[in-house]
Amino acid sequence: MNARILELVAGPLRAMRRATFWWSLGLAALVAGTMSVWPAFKGSSGISQAIDQLPSGVVQAFGLADFGTPAGFLRANLYDFFVPLLVVIAAVVLANGQTANEEASGRLELYLAQPIDRRAALLGRASAALVALVVISAVLLVAQLASDAAVGLSIDTGYVLSTIMLCALLGTLHGSLAVAIAGVRARPSLVLGVGIGVAVVGCVVASLFPLSSVLAPWRHISPWDWAFGGNPLDHATELWRYPALAAPSVILTALGVFVVARRDISGA
Amino acid sequence: MDGAEAVIHIDGLVKHYGKVEAVRGIDLRVARGEVFGFVGPNGSGKSTTIRCLLGLLRPTAGAIGAFGLDSTRDGVALRRRLTYVPGELRLPDRLSGMEFVASIGRLRGGFEPARRDQLAERLRLDLHRHLRDLSSGNRRKVALLLAFLFDAELLVLDEPTNGLDPLVQHEFLGMVREARSAGATVFLSSHSLSEVQRAADRVAVLRTGKVVAQGTVAELRGQARQRVEVWFEDDPPEVELRALPDMVDPVVDDHRFTATLSGSIQPLLGLLARHLVTSMLVEEPDLEEAFLDLYDGETV
Repeated sequence: MNARILELVAGPLRAMRRATFWWSLGLAALVAGTMSVWPAFKGSSGISQAIDQLPSGVVQAFGLADFGTPAGFLRANLYDFFVPLLVVIAAVVLANGQTANEEASGRLELYLAQPIDRRAALLGRASAALVALVVISAVLLVAQLASDAAVGLSIDTGYVLSTIMLCALLGTLHGSLAVAIAGVRARPSLVLGVGIGVAVVGCVVASLFPLSSVLAPWRHISPWDWAFGGNPLDHATELWRYPALAAPSVILTALGVFVVARRDISGA
Repeated sequence: MDGAEAVIHIDGLVKHYGKVEAVRGIDLRVARGEVFGFVGPNGSGKSTTIRCLLGLLRPTAGAIGAFGLDSTRDGVALRRRLTYVPGELRLPDRLSGMEFVASIGRLRGGFEPARRDQLAERLRLDLHRHLRDLSSGNRRKVALLLAFLFDAELLVLDEPTNGLDPLVQHEFLGMVREARSAGATVFLSSHSLSEVQRAADRVAVLRTGKVVAQGTVAELRGQARQRVEVWFEDDPPEVELRALPDMVDPVVDDHRFTATLSGSIQPLLGLLARHLVTSMLVEEPDLEEAFLDLYDGETV
């Protein structure tokens, strides 16, 4: 690969190495810490009975069904809410940090004064954020599989892999939204607010809309439903779910790249 | 100067930020191989013009470019032939100086580590330190090093010596002269007039987004007021002195006459030739005075 093109990705990656490390470590620690309590829940009929006493809506909304099973435990404690949300926040923060935040602070000025196309620069930074997200997700996967083995949680490795891939794709989608907004306007607070706000609304829609017969059909507007609507820890994931998350990511990134070439670059 | 000779061409450049008119119609030509001073106070439109030249801003109207290339349309090709020191300098905090210079080197190509080390030594700059740990002066040295590291045909330097100590400023001026000797064109924006005075061949003075004067340093000095002080053997010819044209604030004090001359000195010399003068002092105007005069009125 051309050294100049490689540097458009490698430069921002170098700047993100510390953030990537801490996000990876944090998520791995969350997984390891949560998994350490699995032996206490494993096959516990008492907890299952206690959960059975709760209203079905609460059980469904908080993903508490089958809490004593491996898939139910992982879903309720990690993959229904916490891990995907943290991955999404990591994606938005990393993408914002390399785009809108860099531009608004004036740190892109000297960079964009070099003989590079600003569309390539934004695409390189989006790609670097994607690589960082892949690294974080890979560490998450390793931490999950290692923890499963350490505490004796038995679950299909393919299901875990699919779930974490869907988390990463959900993060990619929101990171791409951040890139699109940064392409339109270099306002870090706007990028963070919209990126994380859309994630939270999507999570609420996917969790709570199914509780209402009127709203239930609308749960499909949420990317969280595209990702986890098929219970990837229980079943093999339908293949359409991957491009359903990837395609809008490509479109949003392309939008940001298209727009950034047609506006002024903010100064310090 | 015709278009073929010009390295930088600016034609009717206008740039608005919403309702703010930052640049209000600039026409300028900078010739190949010259050091061109771009002078004006903060907010006069210098940095906006430069950011338009680099393609970072899109002009509201008019055209700007270099080497016959348009800044907006041919930005990459244009920037390949120039280097730049920003006025408001922000560098990536998380990298060391060495990493940052190498990164820019990979983006540009043609990076020579030996030349980097030579320039770092010349600027007394430790590139191994993290950029966040550097003082503002040392950060500016990093930007200067990058500007002189590549064999650029055009150096665009916006307030390049802000925060530098006098020794490094002196070194910088030497580097500018060397670049010019090597055939480069230097576009030097500054509100430090002494710096421009020492380095520039020609100067344009900006005021509220317009060029109010341009010419050689000598020409601008010629437009400035001169302070004259004359000691007469006898009483000064006060009536005749006060009647001279372009004489501002004439004061007669015993045998001494002082005034500020806003025009030619010739009538004064003609008058003095007819009297016995024991001593005379004419303070050569520096660009600072010319500059301040230009702000007193709209144009000179």
